[in-house]
Amino acid sequence: MPFAPALRSEWLKIRTLRSLLGSLSAVLLATAAFSALAATDSGGADFDPLYSTFFGVNFGQIAAIAFGTTAMSAEFRGGALRLSLAAVPDRTRWFAAKAAAVAAPALAVGLLTGLVGLAVGRAVLGSDGPGWGEGLRAAVGCAVYLTLMALLAAGLTAVLRSGVATLSILIPFLLIVSFVVGDLSGGVADLLPDRAGQIALHRTWDGTLGPWTGLAVTALWTSAALAAGAWSVRRRDA
Amino acid sequence: MTSIDVQDLTKEYGSRRAVDHLTFRVEPGRVTGFLGPNGAGKSTTLRLLLGLDRPTNGTATIGGRAYADFPEPLRAVGALLDAGAAHGSRTARDHLRVLAASNRLPERRVDEVLEETGLAPVARRRVRTYSLGMRQRLGIAAALLGDPPVVLLDEPSNGLDPEGIVWIRGLLRRLAAQGRTVLVSSHLMNETASFADHLVVLGRGRLLADLPLREFIDTRVQPSVRVRTSDPAALHAALARHGLRADDSGDGAWTVPHARVDEIGRLASEAGVPLLELAAREGTLEEAYLDLTATEAEFTAQHQEA
Repeated sequence: MPFAPALRSEWLKIRTLRSLLGSLSAVLLATAAFSALAATDSGGADFDPLYSTFFGVNFGQIAAIAFGTTAMSAEFRGGALRLSLAAVPDRTRWFAAKAAAVAAPALAVGLLTGLVGLAVGRAVLGSDGPGWGEGLRAAVGCAVYLTLMALLAAGLTAVLRSGVATLSILIPFLLIVSFVVGDLSGGVADLLPDRAGQIALHRTWDGTLGPWTGLAVTALWTSAALAAGAWSVRRRDA
Repeated sequence: MTSIDVQDLTKEYGSRRAVDHLTFRVEPGRVTGFLGPNGAGKSTTLRLLLGLDRPTNGTATIGGRAYADFPEPLRAVGALLDAGAAHGSRTARDHLRVLAASNRLPERRVDEVLEETGLAPVARRRVRTYSLGMRQRLGIAAALLGDPPVVLLDEPSNGLDPEGIVWIRGLLRRLAAQGRTVLVSSHLMNETASFADHLVVLGRGRLLADLPLREFIDTRVQPSVRVRTSDPAALHAALARHGLRADDSGDGAWTVPHARVDEIGRLASEAGVPLLELAAREGTLEEAYLDLTATEAEFTAQHQEA
């Protein structure tokens, strides 16, 4: 069986659930709103206008994670996965279709978010704002980063078979652990998925990782989560 | 023609054996009732057939192929496993469109099965607002979506109202008459007796019986005759001459065990016994099933002692 019908089916699942469309719009709204707030406070010696413009990604990523989680966790309720796998028995193909159906809209919304964020940041900060070059780099980075976080959440949900479990791990991790650990130490903390990926949103960086290598590290985390999710779906009884 | 073949199928969950060396065949053109108490392994067998669970041992094939080998399985096999599988926030129509897309089924089929299951007027309502009976109908609609030659339904009459139960009975008969292979699991005896031609009976994961419904009842339950007379003494005398007896039914009538109604009628007429009522009492599936499980319990007890 070719891949396209499975992908069309998974895409239709996302389009026909209002809560998923809601979390996608929340990615845009949360990022734009919190970026605008952050940009109004432009004092301080180490002020980074680029990061200030994309500061809202810290909040937008929660919505991206919610999106990836709910898209996957819907399969683990009331025997939905059995029905999905009865229709597409090739589990690897099914999982790939699900991941692609999560990634595509996340990337599109992420790109829109990045561009809107950049426009808002430049408008609020005026001459102090980021330039177009670094701004576009960060906008693309923002889109890739949000997509990777949505996929990370989707993969983890497939392993844990529960949206609640995934959110109760990822959200405290992003809001607390990463902030605390990140401030304490350099080095290893820079390899955490959110820290590494967000380097792309800064004007300058001083670790070993740059914007693209940082995103590559996040992509490694995401690949691991997706591989574990695919393995779990393949190995376990549905 | 597509038949279902289960060969030496075994499934263990940890140390519990849910399905125990099961072998049977389901033929097309008739409704096969899949009977057994809750926990007998019926649903597990269906999941194994659909490739959803991995068997510990043995095979389950449909038309000679493993389920996972069908390129577009919904066109070959339609199944209802859980009525709760549809997402509550999706409309019934969207739920079926998602399934249709995965197997490249035309959208026209979605509307056809909605019509067939009586859901067309509520197709654009969210599944959350559905009663259990309506969800059951949606599950059946999903099973029929690909117009499959093989239909597997797990407890389809669950939650259906009386009208729905009559409807599903007719549907199952119709599907079998069209030459499809129909396997319907149930733990309700009278319900199964009303639609099944053939029975596969499970108990604690093992095959207890695989034979036509009528034969199952006739070999297990002796028919009896109910008689009411104004002259019981003459009746008893006439029966005794033929080696038969009559037990008091308690409501003024008598029950003659191991007898046929035409035999008793002739016998009473010859002896001049005045009859007020004469009726055959056929065995029911329930009686046959209880007889089977009683023998089974005895068999197990003997084995444990040995």
